[in-house]
Parts: sequence; C-alpha cells; structure tokens
Amino acid sequence: MDFLLNITASGLVLGAMYGLIAMAFSVIYKTTGVVNFAQGEMMMLTAYIAWSLGVTLALPFWLMLPLVCVIAALIGALVEYAIIRPMMGEPPFAIIMATMGLAIAIRSLTILIWGVNAEGFDASVKGGLFEIGPVVLFSEQIFALAVFLLVSVGIWAFMRFTRIGTAMRATALDESAALLMGINVRRIHSLAWAISSIIAALAGVCFALAFSRSPSMWFLGLQSFPASILGGLDAPLGSALGGLLVGVSANLSEGYIGQGLKEISGFVIIILVLMIRPYGLFGRRDLERV
Amino acid sequence: MRSGHAVEDYRQLVALSDNPITWFWVGLLILVLLALPGLVPTYTLVMASAVGIAAISAIGLNLLTGTTGLISLGQAGFLSMGAYTCALLMADYGWPAEAAMPAAAFFTGLLSLVIGVPSLRLKGLYLAITTLAFSLIVTHFILYSENLTHGPFGVRIANPTMLGMDIASDVGFYYFVGILLLLVSLFALNVMRTRIGRAWIAIRDHDIAAQVMGINLVHYKLLAFFVSSSIVGLAGALTTLRLRFINVEVFDLLISIEALAMIIVGGLGSVAGSILGAAFIVLLPEGVRILLDFLTPEMKTAYSNYVYEVRGLLIGAIVIIILRVESGGLVGIWAKTKRYWVNWPLPI
Repeated sequence: MDFLLNITASGLVLGAMYGLIAMAFSVIYKTTGVVNFAQGEMMMLTAYIAWSLGVTLALPFWLMLPLVCVIAALIGALVEYAIIRPMMGEPPFAIIMATMGLAIAIRSLTILIWGVNAEGFDASVKGGLFEIGPVVLFSEQIFALAVFLLVSVGIWAFMRFTRIGTAMRATALDESAALLMGINVRRIHSLAWAISSIIAALAGVCFALAFSRSPSMWFLGLQSFPASILGGLDAPLGSALGGLLVGVSANLSEGYIGQGLKEISGFVIIILVLMIRPYGLFGRRDLERV
Repeated sequence: MRSGHAVEDYRQLVALSDNPITWFWVGLLILVLLALPGLVPTYTLVMASAVGIAAISAIGLNLLTGTTGLISLGQAGFLSMGAYTCALLMADYGWPAEAAMPAAAFFTGLLSLVIGVPSLRLKGLYLAITTLAFSLIVTHFILYSENLTHGPFGVRIANPTMLGMDIASDVGFYYFVGILLLLVSLFALNVMRTRIGRAWIAIRDHDIAAQVMGINLVHYKLLAFFVSSSIVGLAGALTTLRLRFINVEVFDLLISIEALAMIIVGGLGSVAGSILGAAFIVLLPEGVRILLDFLTPEMKTAYSNYVYEVRGLLIGAIVIIILRVESGGLVGIWAKTKRYWVNWPLPI
C-alpha cells in the first residue's frame, strides 16, 4: 500500500510537470490554432537560462524566477513575431514543420552554448523532506505541485475574469469576429505565446530542480503531448488534468507492469484516445465544411 | 529550353516526359553515375550510397506525406522495422539477403496498416502525433523484447551478397543502391500518373471532397500507407546491409524530422524533389566542412567536435527559410527560375 501511495505521489509530481507543458501547448493551440512542436525545446532553453542565472550568477531564487519568466515571455513573443506570424494562413503542415525546424535548431543551439553534460540545479527551495503519512516528498517536488496548482488556478481566473482573457477566448472562438469587435488579434496571439512560454519555463525549472538540467530535457515536451491530447488540445485546464492522469498512469505502469513503460505509456494512451475520442475529454468537436 | 508547348491528347499529358531533351539529360546523368566508381575516391561512393538510401526513404515518405497529405512523424519507426526485420531474418534465421529484403519491405507495409487504421479518423496534426507515438512504441518494443530482437545489444549480420553481386564492397553496394533507387523512382513516378496516384492527390487536396467524388478513403489511405511504408522498409533493409550492424540508436527521433526536412527542402509530392532533398540534407555537413576548410582552417577541430549540433542548427534554419520563402522547395525554385528565363524579358 505504501508503495502504491508513494508511486502515485511521485506520479502526481511528474504529472504536474506534464500538465504544465500540456497547458502551454493548449494555450497556444486554443488561441492561435498552432501546435508548437518546439515547446519542449523552448522549455529546455529557458531552464538552461534559469540554471545560468541561479547557479552560475548565483542570483537568489526569488529574483531568478521572475527574471526567467520575463525572459521566457520575450522568447515566446519573439518566436511568434519572427516565425509564426508571417506564416499565418499557410497550411497547418507548414506551420507544424516550421516549429519542428525551430525545435532542432534550439536543441542544437543549447548544446553549442552549454555543452552536453547534465548539471544539478541547486537552489534555496531544495533540501527539505516532507512526510505526509506514508508518503515522502522532497521540497522541490512540493514546489512543483504548488506551481502546478497556482498556474492552473491562475490560468482559469485569467481566462474567466480579466478583459484580456475574455478577448483571448473570443479570439479562440472566432478570429474574424473578434477582429471586427476591435480586439487586437495580433497582440492576443503574441500574448498567448508569451504566456505559454512562461508556463513551459516554470515546468522546465521544476524539472531541472527535481532532476537535473540536461540536453535531453526536450523529450519532456513530447511526453506531454499525451496529456494535452487526453485533456483536449483546446482546453488548458483539461490538459492540466490530463497531465496528472498521464503522470500517475506512467508511474503505475512502470511500477506494476513492466520496466520502460514509463516513457511510452503516455503514447499508448494517445493512440487509444485518438481512436475513441479524438478531440479529448474536454475538447470541442470540430465540424468541417467542404 | 522549350516555350509555347501545347499538349494535344491525354496520353501526352500524363507521360513522364514527352520532351526528348529531358530524356537526354536523365540518360546522361545515369551514364555519369554508372562511370562514377572509376572517377572518384571510395569515400565519395560511400556518401553516394548514403544519399541513395536516404532518397529511397524520402520517396517513400513523399508518397504518404507529399502526395496523399498524411503527415507522418513515424519514419524512424518504419525504418527500424524494415532494418530489424531484414537483420533478424538474416542473422537469426539464416535467410539470404535476396529473400530478407523483400520480406522486410512487405512486413513493414503490413505493420503500417496498424497505424493506417487510426489514420482513417485522424488527419493533420493528430495523425502526426499518432505516428510519432507509434514510432516510439516500436523503439520500445525493440529495446525490451530481448528474446526476439537482441534488445539494446543490436544485431550484426555477415557480409551479404545479392544475386551473385558482392554488395559488401563499396562499389558493389553503390551499384545496388543505384539500381534500387532507379526502380523505386520509376515506380513512384508511374504510380502518380495512374488512377491510384490521382486519388491520393485528391485526398491530399481535400479528403471529404474526394470521398464525395467517389474515392474510397479507407481503400486509398491504407494503400498509401502500405506502399509508402514498404518503400521505407526497403530503405531500412538497405541500411542494415550498409552498416551490417544496427541498434535502436541508428533510428532515433531526429531521423523522422530529417526525413520530413528532406521532402520539404526538395519539394513536396515530387520524386525529383525527394532525391534532391535527401542529397542536400545528407551532404550538408560535408558541404559545411569543405566551406570551412576553404575559409578558416583553424575552425576545423571546433567544427568536428560540434558537427551534429551545427548540422541540426542548419537543418532547422533551412527548413524554416524554405517554408517561409519558397514552399515548393528546390524543385519549386528550379521551376520558377526556368519560367523566368522562358518569359524573359517579360515578368512571370
């Protein structure tokens, strides 16, 4: 029983990171209809920047985190401005491939700048040990869960109550109608990219704290796809929940069925979900006209 | 160059080329390729074989993605399936290469139908993710079914022969790949001018509209998966014969993205584009090396340390530039240049 609780708890922590990145996917997809295959790489890049700020420059954690968020937002907006915006209106395949091109470019760039070695990430939030009943969690794992909850609630409140969030939902619903209502759709798009990069950056920092910052971090981006598909690509909160489900099922299948299943259980879920309910648990079914 | 060329009947319209000049150049190219082993060092032949294999795999992917419009990120999965089928049949079951290669192609085609079935409900992005998932599951299966696939240790095969040809030597293998590339190209060019090819193009342009026109989506999409993956499986088997030792590392995820980069750089839906794109992507690191040697000899060691990273950076940048500037790829650029000179001094 203790085993079950413990792997479920660490599955939740893993799922929180998946959920954050899945939210990042869906914020972009919902507003702009683009899937950013470079999400994992952008997360890796910002995590590396965070590492440089926090470890090499030894900035305190409370200063480093907001700084990283600002940098992430700038990177997101820059990518949108330089690559995605000029390609609007082209077939989705072209845009997907452009983000993939960006993905390999960022992956290579990261190794060129920081080298191939993985490094630990020490910060003031690390080091504590919490015992909740039979479950033992490190403080960086608690931190990841806290970030996940805060971001989920934050995104929900932002979309629901603020003026900009409403404008974002309007853009997602119908771009030309939103434009006619006087919403600056371009600004909404770059804002979506900025927000999504911030969320991904937080996930990256959590991951680097819990494990290490390494050049294979980008794979976390791909592993978060199942979460987003499961929850619905156009449903940020659904994606967050999907992340938790995928994280827990990954850990349970690794613990009880067979070794190595952790990496692919999500992808098995993807294939099942797509065959049964392609628009996800909370997504909207698309209608197509000929 | 011809201008003001009129087509008079349907046979002429669908002919591969009714222009004798084109046939002349193609013939000349084949002659040069035939004479190549006498003219260049062995290293060039090895590179040429690598380009040939990449071109076969790109033609396969192009039939699926460029012609039928089904985006696949599962190229690495299909390649490793073909490669492992061929390697295991030869190493563990003692099949000759003549039988193992077609078996690998056929088996890859059959297995691709498993992924073809969900493709009937999915398209675009969702299909891309499904094929990606499929590819990862194949890698996982190979890694963890040690009894069948040797798991992480990889498979080694003995020096193969093919119909009496010594394909373990560089020259022999070069000719072998060349012949297969020619056959696959002719097959792809011809299949595109039949009913099947036109149905695929219709599905790419709008699948629901194609269905309304009476094209059986189930039939043609599965056929596209089967044909394309068989060709990719063949390329995988060739990889086995070339390296003679394979493991899962040979087919990592980057291969899938590179394969898409090849057909984008070359030109979607075009056989010539697949070959050009494959040559471009495979030879890119060599080109950069030669350029750097020429410009700054002292950069040489730095480059050799980071050759994969520089390559990734360049591939990423080139894909983005091609998509932004000229979505027809190299073939599109060539067609535009030709049209410009035909119309000169008038604007296009």
